[in-house]
Amino acid sequence: MNLGKMDVFEFKDAKCNPDIIHPYTQNLKNNSVPIVIDNGSYMSRAGWSTSEAPVLQFKNIIAKPRKERSKKDTIEPIQIPQLQVGNDILNIEAVRFQLKTQFDRNVVTHFEAQEHLFDYTFTHLGIDTENSVNHPLFLTEAFLNPNTSRQLMSELLFECYGIPGVVYGIDSLLSYHYTQAKPLENALIINLGYQTCHVIPVLGNKTVFENTRRLNIGGWNVITFLHRILQLKYPAHAAAVTLSRAEELLHTICVIASDYKEEMKRWTDNEYYEKHIKKIQLPFSSASTSSALTLEQQKERKRELARRLTEINARKREERLAEDQEKLRQLLEIQEIIDFGADKDEVDNILAEYQLRNVNDLQKSILNLNMKIEKIKQKITAANNTEDLEEPPVKQAKLSKMVFENESALHSFLDNIKKMKQDILNKKLMRKQRKQDIFKRRTAAGQERMRIISQLARKEKGNDDFGMRDEDWDIYKTISKDGGDSDSDVENEKLLEFEEILRTHDPQEFDEHANLGELHQLHVGIERYRAPELIFKPYMSGSPEAGLSEVIGYVLSLFGDEDQLKLAANVVVTGGLANLKGLRERLLVDLISIRPFRSEVNVSIMGDSSLTAWYGARQFVRSGEFKKCLLTKNMFEEYGPEYFKTHVASNIYYPTPNESLIDVDV
Amino acid sequence: MSVEEQKLEQQPVFKASSFQQNKSTKKKNVWKGLKQIITSEKALPWPDEVVHYSSINAPPSFKPPEKFSDLSGLPAPYTDPQTRLRFANKDEYATIVDLPMDITAGYLALRGATSIVG
Repeated sequence: MNLGKMDVFEFKDAKCNPDIIHPYTQNLKNNSVPIVIDNGSYMSRAGWSTSEAPVLQFKNIIAKPRKERSKKDTIEPIQIPQLQVGNDILNIEAVRFQLKTQFDRNVVTHFEAQEHLFDYTFTHLGIDTENSVNHPLFLTEAFLNPNTSRQLMSELLFECYGIPGVVYGIDSLLSYHYTQAKPLENALIINLGYQTCHVIPVLGNKTVFENTRRLNIGGWNVITFLHRILQLKYPAHAAAVTLSRAEELLHTICVIASDYKEEMKRWTDNEYYEKHIKKIQLPFSSASTSSALTLEQQKERKRELARRLTEINARKREERLAEDQEKLRQLLEIQEIIDFGADKDEVDNILAEYQLRNVNDLQKSILNLNMKIEKIKQKITAANNTEDLEEPPVKQAKLSKMVFENESALHSFLDNIKKMKQDILNKKLMRKQRKQDIFKRRTAAGQERMRIISQLARKEKGNDDFGMRDEDWDIYKTISKDGGDSDSDVENEKLLEFEEILRTHDPQEFDEHANLGELHQLHVGIERYRAPELIFKPYMSGSPEAGLSEVIGYVLSLFGDEDQLKLAANVVVTGGLANLKGLRERLLVDLISIRPFRSEVNVSIMGDSSLTAWYGARQFVRSGEFKKCLLTKNMFEEYGPEYFKTHVASNIYYPTPNESLIDVDV
Repeated sequence: MSVEEQKLEQQPVFKASSFQQNKSTKKKNVWKGLKQIITSEKALPWPDEVVHYSSINAPPSFKPPEKFSDLSGLPAPYTDPQTRLRFANKDEYATIVDLPMDITAGYLALRGATSIVG
């Protein structure tokens, strides 16, 4: 069937596109149009309040390469490694270990990183005014953001960027109140974020802060969980299964089961498994396969290398020979001159030129050279002979097919080999079994071992004749870890040999291994359900927290019956994970099971859930509210750095109790 | 020196160049983590009605955790006493037996079951 191939899914490995610096029009500049930033722990979305959609969308991360620790005496200027921010990072996996974010869970704590990210945002929005960003700002923050974090944020915005004013708001509340035409005044908002999930009750358009609950688990946890299960399932491909790929899988094939146990039961059925399994092709290079494919070629290459080496050696020898012969010729010439009877000074001069002390030395060198030349000549002839000897392939005989009289002879031969191979494999298996048994109590092997050990340990004075016979010592072999004998090298070699014989004579046997593509496939079945299930069962990763449905039930239980009805009638889901398939059905099933019989339960998912917070914030800015809630620089200086103005979609303001702080009269 | 200079060059025009946060602490690049922030927040004498970041943590689960196979995720009635891994059927047990130590340890760590007591 061709269908099987069609089902294979491939990673897109989407890369970021670097952001352009957007035009800073006169209109934006002169009217000081407000900037809207949804500063989420996964992504930041930024734009003007007049723009149709966020102008910038990037992951809230920076990659800061480590400074090279240069030596002090180098004169060259120290190269400062380039800091990469947001969409500058084209391949996240390449800089995975240098990534930093300003977030700790869902709260901004690392303001140096935040500063880099604001730099990036404002630069790419095109702002070029000197010494200030002359636009009021709307910024989202965490639910119940600690005062410390907000204070540092305000300091950064007012003192570093000189913005005229800021309004803080909560992302999920903005999505609820400002993106719907007519939001009901009672709702149970479920926000599924990257780091945390919130269950936020809203009664009469007022957020009930004290009954809100936060699950410290989010998309990030699901991604790492999926990443780890797949790595453990495919240890050979551990490096190829990256976090970005796990993220891609989460958003493409993961589903939330409406009944997890039922779903699991279905997966035990083989047919269901085959039908619903997702096969994912990992990239692989077929180049590496060729080496494994033909042993012949490998050998040929080796022989080629050897030949080249001998050639080089031969050439070197010949060069040396020629050199020596030349020197000999020169020395013989000097000898001749001397023999002719030249005067002493001239002889000395010539000798000095050749670094010889006297005539004796000369004769000695001539003798030495003669011997050397003779030796090299011998070597060359020897090398030529061995080359001839080496040429005939020694090992080829072993590999080439043996010739058999007929088919049946071949078959019986192969069967024999197979049987021998199986024998060795069986032996290995037996040994492994024994090895396991020996360490378990209540197995025959284990008890026998204990019996022998206790016998050995028993001290009997007088009649200890242990060690008199050589066989006595064998007892230590039987109680050793390996339980007698271990897998020997000889056996392993035999096994390899048998496999080789089978490969040459019966290649079909090994055909299944030939398809490398299949070896590089991930089969993702139950994992598709298992990973997102983490939100409902945090104990799967060892967290003691209650799951999402349980928390919803808990939050509802904090209200009176009447309010419970109002809340359950309007459950709204937002956040990046809200788009997961099956989420709505699951929540509905779980809610119905905890609600009174036939009471009203509605679950709705906000469309395009990862951007609704930004649209909500923009809507807020466009409404009249924005001017009223703006925290201006004057207020910041007057009321203290942690002060901010509240509104329907904001946190509440609790001044930090501290004697040193001036009491604020609001 | 050169580090400082280059930093200044990179500064976008819209920033106040004199600004430096975190001046109170001598060491640069030291930021309080969320945990530290929460603990120092808790130590203050807040009025009773105040709700904090730390007071809206989800409650612990009141249901007994179900057991799922570490390998497949199927409901797992069995535990291998040697590796402490959970498994659903005999095929899975056969694979568990062959697993190297790092993989079994990885599975346990994933489930958060690495403590000797648990």
